[in-house]
Amino acid sequence: MSRVLRSLRDGIGFDTLLIIIALSYLFVFAGLPLIYNVIISFQRVDVFSLGTLWHPNVGFENYERVFNDPLARRVLINTLIFTLGSVAMQFTLGFAAALFFHQRFPGATWFRGLFLAGWIMPGLVVGVLWNWLLSGDFGVINHVLRSLGLIDSAIFWRSDTAWSLYAVMMANVWYGMPFNMILLSVGLAAIPDDLYEAAELDGANAWQRFWTITLPMMRSTIGAVLALGVIFTLQQFDLFAAITQGGPAGSSTVAQYWSWELSFREFDFGRGAVISVTMIIVVLFVSLIYVRSTRAETRL
Amino acid sequence: MSNAWTNRLLFVIALVLAGIYLFPLYWMYVTSLKTQSSIFAVPPEFLPGVPQWQNYALIWDVANIPRYMWNSLVIATGVTAFTLIFGAGAAYVLARYRNHWIDIALFLVLMLQVLPPSLMVTPIFVGFASVGLLDYPRFGAILAISAKTMPFFIILCRAAFMTVPRELEEAALVDGNSRAGAFFMIVLPLARNGILVAALLIFMQGFGEYVYSASLIADNRLHPASIGMTNFLQPNVVNWNAIMAFAATYVTPIVAAFVLLQRQIVNGLTAGALK
Repeated sequence: MSRVLRSLRDGIGFDTLLIIIALSYLFVFAGLPLIYNVIISFQRVDVFSLGTLWHPNVGFENYERVFNDPLARRVLINTLIFTLGSVAMQFTLGFAAALFFHQRFPGATWFRGLFLAGWIMPGLVVGVLWNWLLSGDFGVINHVLRSLGLIDSAIFWRSDTAWSLYAVMMANVWYGMPFNMILLSVGLAAIPDDLYEAAELDGANAWQRFWTITLPMMRSTIGAVLALGVIFTLQQFDLFAAITQGGPAGSSTVAQYWSWELSFREFDFGRGAVISVTMIIVVLFVSLIYVRSTRAETRL
Repeated sequence: MSNAWTNRLLFVIALVLAGIYLFPLYWMYVTSLKTQSSIFAVPPEFLPGVPQWQNYALIWDVANIPRYMWNSLVIATGVTAFTLIFGAGAAYVLARYRNHWIDIALFLVLMLQVLPPSLMVTPIFVGFASVGLLDYPRFGAILAISAKTMPFFIILCRAAFMTVPRELEEAALVDGNSRAGAFFMIVLPLARNGILVAALLIFMQGFGEYVYSASLIADNRLHPASIGMTNFLQPNVVNWNAIMAFAATYVTPIVAAFVLLQRQIVNGLTAGALK
């Protein structure tokens, strides 16, 4: 007994204890729900059977109902458009901003840091701010677009089925861009200056230097940032709740929102779990790519 | 000479870019101080008129701001405490060793970081309902949110612990400290800044959290300000000055903390973000 105590205070037992505490917590509140998720996706879980650990088994019925649902196709397409569109725009704008602030002018770092003010805001507040900016009659965005001559009449971003998904996407690009920029800035700063100097002596212009030095040197950073972008975009929920609530008529419903709606609006947790299981598999697959590219970079 | 002009030009461009990016925040504050008629002016009035401070006083009681802010504070404090207590030690161990087991643990932590809350909340809700945790909804929400914030905290904190030289800890052990003593007296104080920044980020996440609170907490008296905003939004959807006053009251503490600690936050993020 005293040997165990001494090990806890002085030896490897101390380290083991520290890590076991954290991992057990994560196992109970993240690992077990992951397993339980798979189980309830095969069960009928509604308000009447809530409160017991086990529910009536229904086999693949939940899966069949979700994938045969007329909304399923719409949701799949929406999720693809929203994720790929958001990531592409966040990445492009973030990379452009990172390259801009990489020109070392006075105040560059400070200005770059200002952009993180968007990133630290609660998602729900960001959603409410954009809800107001995107307002049809009195929104600033419609006013600016009209003054620039880009549109003739107001676009009803939140209530037009053709635009609602893009309304949320705009807010999401604004929200996620700074994080892309900061990560890419870190990658840019890690490229040794003498590479550029040597290329400049050899007569390479800025465009050539970007394609032959910056991009190849940033390869693993870019991989990590794109994977993280997909992961964070698939986590986005608050903006949907604050701007369109998936509507109108499901036109801005993405998978993670549909899963929540089935569980907490229709109280059909079995079907909610089906989408949850499916999407978690997707997310874990993407994060394998992410872990691989960070591993290449930092040798964990 | 030409270099100075380039710098000035870049500075002006940076100013414009930051201005465009931060416009939504500016617009929140300006709208919150407008009269009911001037929020619907066409074209929009971009400069504030006479500030209507009473907008803030009016919503204070009507929208139950004190109660909502208190609940957000309770949840954020609880989440930060749980995350710190359970996560800091693990981050330290993961920073100190390099072997196969550590790699596996790190991999697990990274994988748990990516789970979307809106997907995890279904099994967590059903599980909590069956074990009776929903009878303590705020506590349940804190437990669930902490499982989400902890992996991120561990990654950030690990970077902070990696900056502490091993030699200092070994010297403390030679001087007769126990491992636990060296951890609490030497390592923790030296990694303090990194840990505090990480804890601050976790606190902000807890303060703004929405999905778990909205799904696990049924009683409106226990709802945090994020849900308070959605509750307030629906019946007041034309009173944008009042809604923006609510939003401004909610996020000003976060914005203030960010302005004061901008450099530390950016440094802490960039140190841990890609590792």
